[in-house]
Amino acid sequence: MRLNRRTFLGTGAAATGLVGLSGLPLRAQGSTINVTAYGGVWEQAIRDCFVAPFEAKTGATATVSLGGPAQWLAQVEASPENPPLDVLIMSPDLAVLAAEGDLMDEFTVEKLPNLANIPQEFTDACLGKGTYFDYGVGGITYNKQIVSEPPRSFADFVERVASGEFIASVPSISYGPTTVFFLWALNNALGGDVDNTDPFFEAMAKMKDNLVFWAGPNDFFNHLASGEADLGIYFDGRTWNHVDEGVDWIDFINPEEGGAMTAVAIQKPKNASDLAWDYLNEVLDAGNQAKFAEILNYGVTNTQVEYSEKLASRVTPLSEANLPPYAEIARVRNDWVDRWNREIGM
Amino acid sequence: MPNLVHLSAGARRALLLAPALIFLAVFFVMPLADNSARSFLAEDGGFTLSRYADFLTDRFYLGVIAETVILSAVVTLISVVIAYPVAYVLVRKAGRFSGLIVFLLIAPLLTSIIMRTFGWQVLFARRGLINQWLVTDLGLLDAPLRWLNTPGLAIAALVHVLVPFAVLSIASVLQGVDRRLEEGAQMLGASKLRTFFEVTLPLTTDGIGTGAILVFMIANGSFVTLVLLGGGFQTLPLLIYQQFNTTRDFALASTMSTILLVIALACLWLQLRLLRRQGV
Amino acid sequence: MRFSDIALWAFTIAFFVFMILPIAVVVVISFTSAGYAAFPIPGWSLKWFARIFEYRPFIDSLWVSLQLGVVATVASCVLGVPAALYLSRARSGWATAITTFLLSPLSMPMIVIGFASLFFLSALGFGVSFLSLAIVHTVICLPYVIRTVTAVYRAVPPAYEEAAQILGASRLTTFREVTLPLIRPGIAAGSLFSFLTSFDNLPVSYFFGSAQTTTLPVVMLAYMEHQFDPSIAALSTLQLLLAIVALVVADRLYGIEKMTVAT
Repeated sequence: MRLNRRTFLGTGAAATGLVGLSGLPLRAQGSTINVTAYGGVWEQAIRDCFVAPFEAKTGATATVSLGGPAQWLAQVEASPENPPLDVLIMSPDLAVLAAEGDLMDEFTVEKLPNLANIPQEFTDACLGKGTYFDYGVGGITYNKQIVSEPPRSFADFVERVASGEFIASVPSISYGPTTVFFLWALNNALGGDVDNTDPFFEAMAKMKDNLVFWAGPNDFFNHLASGEADLGIYFDGRTWNHVDEGVDWIDFINPEEGGAMTAVAIQKPKNASDLAWDYLNEVLDAGNQAKFAEILNYGVTNTQVEYSEKLASRVTPLSEANLPPYAEIARVRNDWVDRWNREIGM
Repeated sequence: MPNLVHLSAGARRALLLAPALIFLAVFFVMPLADNSARSFLAEDGGFTLSRYADFLTDRFYLGVIAETVILSAVVTLISVVIAYPVAYVLVRKAGRFSGLIVFLLIAPLLTSIIMRTFGWQVLFARRGLINQWLVTDLGLLDAPLRWLNTPGLAIAALVHVLVPFAVLSIASVLQGVDRRLEEGAQMLGASKLRTFFEVTLPLTTDGIGTGAILVFMIANGSFVTLVLLGGGFQTLPLLIYQQFNTTRDFALASTMSTILLVIALACLWLQLRLLRRQGV
Repeated sequence: MRFSDIALWAFTIAFFVFMILPIAVVVVISFTSAGYAAFPIPGWSLKWFARIFEYRPFIDSLWVSLQLGVVATVASCVLGVPAALYLSRARSGWATAITTFLLSPLSMPMIVIGFASLFFLSALGFGVSFLSLAIVHTVICLPYVIRTVTAVYRAVPPAYEEAAQILGASRLTTFREVTLPLIRPGIAAGSLFSFLTSFDNLPVSYFFGSAQTTTLPVVMLAYMEHQFDPSIAALSTLQLLLAIVALVVADRLYGIEKMTVAT
């Protein structure tokens, strides 16, 4: 399939006489690598915790590309022989797709000494071609001024929203991670599994009159701040970030059944600069990760990391969260989305 | 010989068209053709139409197609009807305020869509400004109304983004209308209203057409507002966005884009035909 | 007559209340003293404007977006105006078909254009670069110029140009002295649409962002992925200020009738 389209592209390029222009913007090779980050505080944390030690140790330079995983993966897919990026920040489901597409390099302890301190299951979750470096948990975030007795479990959440006690803001299907941290997590808590999502869709049908949907994380905060909803499904780290910004009416509960672990994966595209390994090793370093966690309020994956007291009370321990079976979900996800479209709407 | 000269003049004029045609052929058609190849490729590498067959025989997807076209049409109609009086004021009445009006028109387009949506949420949330005003301050209602995630608000938000295109399109044509034609009609005894409907309006058909075409086409391909404001609409652009964002089923995305393009082109061609028939 | 004027103005004012209300909320929030974006605001402060200037990517990408908007608009005019001149005078069915084709990028969801172009331009070796961005932005801006100029030029009677030529003006002189002034409102409207479309574009620019060239909307999106502080509102307010400055400058240079009414 690739071949056909490649041939087409080649012919087209030749036909339009543009082949001569090929290779115009050759990427600066050698001592510069391109890494990726979300913007704002996140970018600053990436620069301070990982880029700075990398540059100090290697004498090389790392430039930071701002954006999101879908964009970065597409850019690598579009030029797999000469990827414009050397290190990718990925969502767990895209990490699986990228690994399956044979676009990423294998992670080994020989190349990444610090990988020895990362639980093996996280590398396995990326099919060996990447690993997780930080994580949050999806659970119940609520407005303390309105909700005095918040639901402590997913089951309780469903019952009380269905009864009309609260208006809940839940992620819509247009938000990428929804299928996992909401659909899979709730379904799992209600007794379903990857091959049986009836419990989830039945619960949604019961709750439907008292639901609003958020399309992006900021949307959720707006729903709570503007009074459109009283509580909803959201992430722990983001909730703490709001608290640090001065929002004193918000709180988070990890449901008794355990919320879904929502991780950030790192990967190295095939044919990317070998310097990327040095950078990745810094990302997996315990000291650097501890610093990163402190800034962003998210848990990190190196087992040697010790959190500060403030952070220890906030980070949901790995033992109380569920690691979703991303590879299995990838197999059925499009059917889930299709069912969601038909039964709940977009 | 005159024939030949004439021909070469025609050919020369056609050269005017060449740069734009070639540019779009290379940088619009070729990428999309390449992309649409994904929709015709079977799993085994052969050619297939099965994706189109599946899509076009599924009642759910047919409903989505209908909803896409109807939503665009409704937004277009509302936008043009609202835009005409505003364009008229801008060109004929505003005088030194015209600069202000143009600024107010483009201000929404300069505000990031995410913040604009945020503005809507603040105004129309369950405990938002409008409900507070209606319930607490005026006492008109007993309980807050639900606005967010309703079709009405989503349409209003789409009109909000697209109506400037209609106003400015109509204004730019209205600007060129020869006022003497209108004065002539009035001197011949036509009322102001009749002059408007029989002289001014027909002379600005092209402006209305441009506004309608721009609004319709953009509405047909837009999804960000609907993603952010909900409204329960299920449209093709939303489904396409979902393929990029959630499922990464590029073959299905490409199938849907091809169908969307065909529908849009058919509507556009129809509109242009109608405009030409009107003649100017 | 008085009554119809009052009705028209009342309608226009109601219309602008509708247009401005959501924006006004954003402007107010940009002056908040709180650490998060919510309404009503607890107090006034300029700190979020300071934040814009502290965070380098905002300013860098604002500059990229401005350059990109100008390049795409100029390219669209260079390609689009001649095509529009031809199409306005052609009466055949072919002309309708060609116009349809030239306007078609408008209705393609931009995310599809962005994605498809990324693969195509990468295969050509353009990769993720300012050049690629400029090409794709021109694709999405071109239809605006073509359509607005066509609409205005079709309303111009051919007799004006014929008269100029009969009086001995060359083709070029006729174009410069007669045609160009007549189609200026169309070019102005098309350029404005084009610039705004490019400047506000996310779904296309998204695919071409790199460490060196990222546009403002992409940086804003990446920023908001983990933060929803009022600096995004402050950026919107700043953009509005820039628009006011641009309009005032245009007014001083060209006069309000030629520039603003014409648009």
